[in-house]
Amino acid sequence: METKPQFNEEELVAKAQQGDRNALSQLVVNYRSRIYHLGLRLTGTEQDAEDILQETFLIMVKKIHQFKGQSSFYTWLYRIAVNIGLRKLKSKPHKYQHVSIDDPDIEYISSTEIADWPDFDYSKFARKHLRKKLDQLIEKLPDIYRTVFILRDLHELSTEDTSKILQITPSNTKIRLMRARNYLKEELEKIIDKEGLI
Amino acid sequence: MKNDSELYKQICEYLGCDFDSGPCKEIQDHLAKCPSCEVYIDKVKKTVHLYKEIENCDEIPEKVCQKLFLSLNLNEPKTNESKTGADNHDFQRFRH
Repeated sequence: METKPQFNEEELVAKAQQGDRNALSQLVVNYRSRIYHLGLRLTGTEQDAEDILQETFLIMVKKIHQFKGQSSFYTWLYRIAVNIGLRKLKSKPHKYQHVSIDDPDIEYISSTEIADWPDFDYSKFARKHLRKKLDQLIEKLPDIYRTVFILRDLHELSTEDTSKILQITPSNTKIRLMRARNYLKEELEKIIDKEGLI
Repeated sequence: MKNDSELYKQICEYLGCDFDSGPCKEIQDHLAKCPSCEVYIDKVKKTVHLYKEIENCDEIPEKVCQKLFLSLNLNEPKTNESKTGADNHDFQRFRH
């Protein structure tokens, strides 16, 4: 079994700030996967994800001396990556037309939520097909909702960290997350009804 | 006793929070006597779970890694830990 490395991030960052290239390399190793997948989810393309990865770490190497420790290091790094990703998105036409997002209608829920979904059984359908469908749904979300869903639910950041990265209030983060989750649930339900995926 | 509007706000708040953080008592009480809301929230949870299932943040193409270190003019650490161990170790810190 692989032994988990023991990293003291504060020490690593301090060393990297003093120009220690091994420490910089280790910081890249620690975060490269998450930043790559964040880029992939934000933009939907491998090329853009790679660009975001490179730009993020280039900035990290160049500006790590400016990191003052007012937030955690990963919050600082994520903010750089998200800003690059959002800038990239703005410069391109959207692959899918973004949907308008509403709050869940509680009265409607009361009258329609009758049957629960059974537990998911991957053996019943092609994983690739499901992934494609889910990817399409998430790409239809407007950027402000998709970003929150990616950070909170897929990367499992806290509401506080997500708020700091996106520079919005915690309550705004919660509202956006709630709307994103509700939209994805509604759309997934339509697919299930139509294709019987589950 | 909360009115519908207050309860609605609380359910929305719950939908924007960590599901395992525990809903407040009013929501639990409501869910216990309202199967529709219970089913609704369960479906939202399953949707999020499904997205988490298909997301694999551990993998990154080897070529992408090599290009990254080349562009940064840094040497990639050679140990096994640098490939996945460090990434996974670090991921755990994000989980609540």
